[in-house]
Amino acid sequence: MAFAIQFVIDVLSLGGAYALMALGLVIIYGILRLVNFAYGELIMVAGYTMFLTSGSGLPWLLMAVLAVVMAIVFGILTDYVAFRPVRAKSVTAVLITSFAFSNLLQNAALLFISPRPRNVPLPDIFSQTVSIGGAITPVRNLITIAASIVLLAAVAFLMRKTTLGIAMRAAATNFTMARMLGVPANLIISSAFALSGFLAGVVGLLWIGRIGTVVPGVGLEPLLVAFIATVIGGMRSLPGAVVGGFLLALIDTTLNYTLSQDLLKFRDAFTFSLVILILLWRPEGLIKGPASGQRT
Amino acid sequence: MKHSYLTALILIAVIAVIAVGSQMIGIRLYDRIATNLLISLVLVIGLQTFMGNSGLLSFAHIGFMGLGAYTSAVLTIPAQMKGMALPDLYEFMKVVEISPLLAMLAAGVVAALVAAVVAYPLMRLSDAAAVITSFALLVVLYTVMNNWSALTNGPRTLFGLPKTTEMPIAAIVAAVVVVVALAFKESRTGKLLRASREDEVAAAALGANIPHLRWRAFILAAFIAGIGGALWGHFITSFAPKAFYLKETFLIITMLVIGGANTVTGAVAGTVLITVAYEGLRGTEATLNAASSGSGQVIGLTEIVLALAMIAVMIVRPGGLFPNREIGHILTRSRRKKEKTA
Amino acid sequence: MLDVRDLSVSYGTIRAVRGITFTVGKGELVSLLGANGAGKSSTIKAIAGALKTSGGAVTLEGRDITSANPEQVIRAGLATVPETRDVFPDLTVAENLMLGAYIHRRDHAGNRENLDRLHTLFPRLAERAAQAAGTLSGGEQQMLVIARALMARPSVLLLDEPSLGLAPAIVERIFEMIETLKKSGLTILLVEQNVNQALAVADRAYVMRLGAIVASGTADEIRSTSDLSAHYLGG
Repeated sequence: MAFAIQFVIDVLSLGGAYALMALGLVIIYGILRLVNFAYGELIMVAGYTMFLTSGSGLPWLLMAVLAVVMAIVFGILTDYVAFRPVRAKSVTAVLITSFAFSNLLQNAALLFISPRPRNVPLPDIFSQTVSIGGAITPVRNLITIAASIVLLAAVAFLMRKTTLGIAMRAAATNFTMARMLGVPANLIISSAFALSGFLAGVVGLLWIGRIGTVVPGVGLEPLLVAFIATVIGGMRSLPGAVVGGFLLALIDTTLNYTLSQDLLKFRDAFTFSLVILILLWRPEGLIKGPASGQRT
Repeated sequence: MKHSYLTALILIAVIAVIAVGSQMIGIRLYDRIATNLLISLVLVIGLQTFMGNSGLLSFAHIGFMGLGAYTSAVLTIPAQMKGMALPDLYEFMKVVEISPLLAMLAAGVVAALVAAVVAYPLMRLSDAAAVITSFALLVVLYTVMNNWSALTNGPRTLFGLPKTTEMPIAAIVAAVVVVVALAFKESRTGKLLRASREDEVAAAALGANIPHLRWRAFILAAFIAGIGGALWGHFITSFAPKAFYLKETFLIITMLVIGGANTVTGAVAGTVLITVAYEGLRGTEATLNAASSGSGQVIGLTEIVLALAMIAVMIVRPGGLFPNREIGHILTRSRRKKEKTA
Repeated sequence: MLDVRDLSVSYGTIRAVRGITFTVGKGELVSLLGANGAGKSSTIKAIAGALKTSGGAVTLEGRDITSANPEQVIRAGLATVPETRDVFPDLTVAENLMLGAYIHRRDHAGNRENLDRLHTLFPRLAERAAQAAGTLSGGEQQMLVIARALMARPSVLLLDEPSLGLAPAIVERIFEMIETLKKSGLTILLVEQNVNQALAVADRAYVMRLGAIVASGTADEIRSTSDLSAHYLGG
């Protein structure tokens, strides 16, 4: 029983974080057809903001808000540096600029901060554990579950009930038509990048909360996770990304509990081979995205 | 057709100038840089054969370079050293020791075979799916290299490769690769592939099986990457899997994209330009580090400048320095124009 | 109302529209006729701001909208219904209509009133309000895109081939509806291949061929021109 509870909590907390990561990536891809390689660096930005403000004596919550705000700012910056100037050009050009921007941010962290891990301040509650039905689990896992439920609900509300959200969904299927109805292209693009940055920022707090430190390369794993979850869930479907995130967490957790140490080292190879196989079987991902679509 | 010969001639002359020039200066550092440049040239042109003709971005290229480097290592590390360099190596392979030249060929073949098997189904994909799978492939190759300790010594540095890559060999391989890339570009496969980028339907009507054509280009690219990997391995003589990951991927993509992915001339120009810039920036970093000894290291500056340059090129000249015509073509055209006006 | 002067559109070196001039007066229904590839849709897209013009000028009620982007064109009062019948398939009918009123999104009362009016004009859309637009039939989708355009309360409506690919009975209903809209005082530019039906509702018409206007006049004049079919068929 205790094991079952442990397993469920593991899957849900990991899945919640994965789902948010995937969502932040899909929002950009779904609307703008951009595979944003610089997405992981938004998580890094949130982490370093925490590190840089740690000596300021601000309450933790305020630092956390600041970290999310910085991730949003850098999300919007991605748009202005890597996307907007080349969006009328080729798909490859946009990919390359986002890849370059990712390298730019990582190396800026290397240059201006340090290649070595830096401690991130965490409230005590992140390191406490609690016993539920005999299973000892870190409180941060429960926080992650709660945060992801709240955020997923908030994003669902935004996309379904607000004019901006509906306009973003419309732009995801037919950008030009949305513009012909008066929806400003720039508003949609900036909103998508801001929302993506917001999700990355929150994920950053939760993710870095697990490790406790931030390094320039911290964004790579979340980026890879987001890739896989997105592919599993359908490249352009927001609910699909969420489902993909939880599925991947289920696969990962199961492999963690079952695979021998020797084989566990190859886990990434297994999951990525799975990605390749899924894409071969269904190039659009397991869950179909919106019916039509064109680039902006 | 004729201007292809001219292009080959000019590009080989560039290689010769680099090789002979660096020897004549006689500074060891320049010799190293020039050899490194020629090896990069092999890798970048290899990527060009796929990307330039198919129009698809491949992130996996460096992974195949790694395969080549490790293949050649396993085949050439002297038997008496293998116990130390690769303690977990399979028994039957411990006695294998072949000549580095042969091993280089084997490296290309192994990379090409792996590419042929893995990539066949991938070539149907385009857009985001193609990019993410090629990225996934890089991660798979990296993970395998990092963990297949028996063959690679795991994440630890593998040492003991004989140092056989000297300047002349690097120059000869680079020259051959230039010719191969130009020939492939002018071959039926290359031409159909490039036609298919403009108009898939028309190319299909000409009988082009696009995934199959891409597959051929991908195998050729992997073969060249494998050769390049072996060449590099015997130049550096010790390395770890992290030499074949994102940082290096970024570097060769920068070289190709800034030079112009569609042309071999672009690949050469980009490699030369970025190598010079890279070494210059590295030198600056070293000077800065020496000046501010103790108060933190200057690292990452080089990559920042390259990333900015890459973004700038994408905005101003998305096709790179040589977006669609080879140097030979450009020269014959301008001469013809002059004749007309005369 | 809508004045198009020397308008040109090029795709690379191909000139799809070669300096055409025409006008649509207030309350008029003008038809732009021509075969496939005559340059009609390029003209519409250029006016709507979805395609760059390479020369000429477009003015709407005296305002220059030549280089306006799509979101500025609709704000200026010109709504476009593209030939591709672009409903947002994953959005419900109600959400589609709501986006049509995007530029009036603060005016809830006005939108409700307008919606009620459109629901009487298209009762089908009221019935299917909660359904995903992608599940509608072709005819219903056509009604939806027209209603959606009207939610913007435009002064000029551009209709690009509303009858394309629809069954004759439905085409009949669409044209009845166009006539109703015209009677309500709306200015309409109707692009059609369906010459007879278009001329039946139009006040005036222009005939396009190979990117240029080759004939113009009242609907009756155009109908009586003997070589119309030659132009229409593309000669």
